[in-house]
Amino acid sequence: MWARRTFISEYSRSELREQHFDSAFGQLWLILNPLLLSAVYFLLIVIIRGSSDSTRYAHLTATLFLFYLVSNSLTGGVKSITAGQRLILNTAFPRIMLPISAVVIAVIKFLPTLAVFLVIRSILGLAFSWEMLWAIPVLLIAMLLALGLAITISCVNVYFRDITNFLPYMNRTLLYLSPILYEASDLKSKLKTLELFNPLFPILDSWSRALVHGQVPHISHLLIALGWAVGIFLIGTYFFLSREREFAVRL
Amino acid sequence: MPSVSKPHKTNEIAVSVRDLSLTYTTAIDRRPTLKARLKAMGRGGKQTRVINALDHVNLDVEYGHVLGIIGTNGAGKSSLMRVMAGIVPPTLGRVEVYGSVSTLLALGVGFNPSLTGRDNVYLGGLAAGMSREEIDTHFEEIAAFSELGEAIDAPMRTYSSGMYARLAFSVAATVRPDILIVDEALSTGDAKFKEKSLNRIKELRSDDRALILVSHAMATLLDVCNDVAWIHKGKLVMRGEPNTVINAYREFLQVGKSAAIDEDV
Repeated sequence: MWARRTFISEYSRSELREQHFDSAFGQLWLILNPLLLSAVYFLLIVIIRGSSDSTRYAHLTATLFLFYLVSNSLTGGVKSITAGQRLILNTAFPRIMLPISAVVIAVIKFLPTLAVFLVIRSILGLAFSWEMLWAIPVLLIAMLLALGLAITISCVNVYFRDITNFLPYMNRTLLYLSPILYEASDLKSKLKTLELFNPLFPILDSWSRALVHGQVPHISHLLIALGWAVGIFLIGTYFFLSREREFAVRL
Repeated sequence: MPSVSKPHKTNEIAVSVRDLSLTYTTAIDRRPTLKARLKAMGRGGKQTRVINALDHVNLDVEYGHVLGIIGTNGAGKSSLMRVMAGIVPPTLGRVEVYGSVSTLLALGVGFNPSLTGRDNVYLGGLAAGMSREEIDTHFEEIAAFSELGEAIDAPMRTYSSGMYARLAFSVAATVRPDILIVDEALSTGDAKFKEKSLNRIKELRSDDRALILVSHAMATLLDVCNDVAWIHKGKLVMRGEPNTVINAYREFLQVGKSAAIDEDV
């Protein structure tokens, strides 16, 4: 697997090149896209809702950008196997490299948005602190979760091709069930169970606590998130590897 | 794939296929969906069917030999090639491969049509386990042999089927594997390129290499092969000297030595 890493890097690079992210305007778009997104929500939260709290806006952008890392992994991963049909039918290689490449692409697209967030954060005048470094383990957990989800959904899509059509709705539902447009602490206690059933909930909450508020995230939240990520990754990978040999005749 | 390995002796076994059977389930719909599955649940309709592609096939391929494989459409030729190349695992029996295999199953390269020919060659090679340096050293030769010129840097969706076939053949023929499997890829391309690729196959026909050709072009097989196997409905019907096997096959088809099977390369 490690020996094939050049395939993954080459694949992600040529895929990004094909989407024109190697040109100046393409890279500008990588920054512009999250900026425009956050502008839309700025309109919604700060202007229409009339909230003048600057941390609220920082929370929104930070969590939204991380959410897009996961949702881009899903949208990129879902078709990775079915789109790689020609290669799968003609070459013997570890098929799991295809969804992994999709996640690598999503991570590459995520990095500039992180830089945009840090700029927004300084403009809002929020103080930087060492506790923000807690964001690093949170990011790693989010990446593991994204990888597990991409591997699982790419495999499911071989058997049920219409998953691709459901995906936008699943993504949208996940967006509203996650503490992005609101903060975890705003939630009524009745809805607290959401924290347990949505793996993104503890991840986004911890991410916001660390990166926006400069606090140490709840360790229990980190553990729940890690449990979800490892669980989905292991189950998805097992499912994928046990089905992998069948892909060539199912495509 | 094509790492430099020790030279193989003539008549040494390259691929050994023992009692090979292949059965697989495939979806009846070209595009299986959850919706179709849910709708069928009430009616209890079957969503998959079982295909017996290969039935107890025994076949040895020796180094220094060029084996032609013939048979009607759906006889299991391509399935046999896929199993030999390690793409599809066998259901029963075993396949042993002694050497590096390169496959050129019907239009092998070009898995992502929106990427350029160059990108696809690199990706295909990397997926098959070659290193970037290996591809670098072969790339100029591949590009030159395919005669695609500037088109090598154009997205592959702009290619004609002939251009696809040219690039695919160039890749497979340039990397010089121990065992080269060519599956009906010679049938596209213009007369000039056909001749060129035929010459390349003859060139590759050396003592320390095994070639396996799947084709419907009897004239080509008679010209190039020194061994022909005939597969029908997943079973190996006959194997041996090209003239004998091809004549028997022609008799079976009851078309005699008509122009239709001769004309295509």
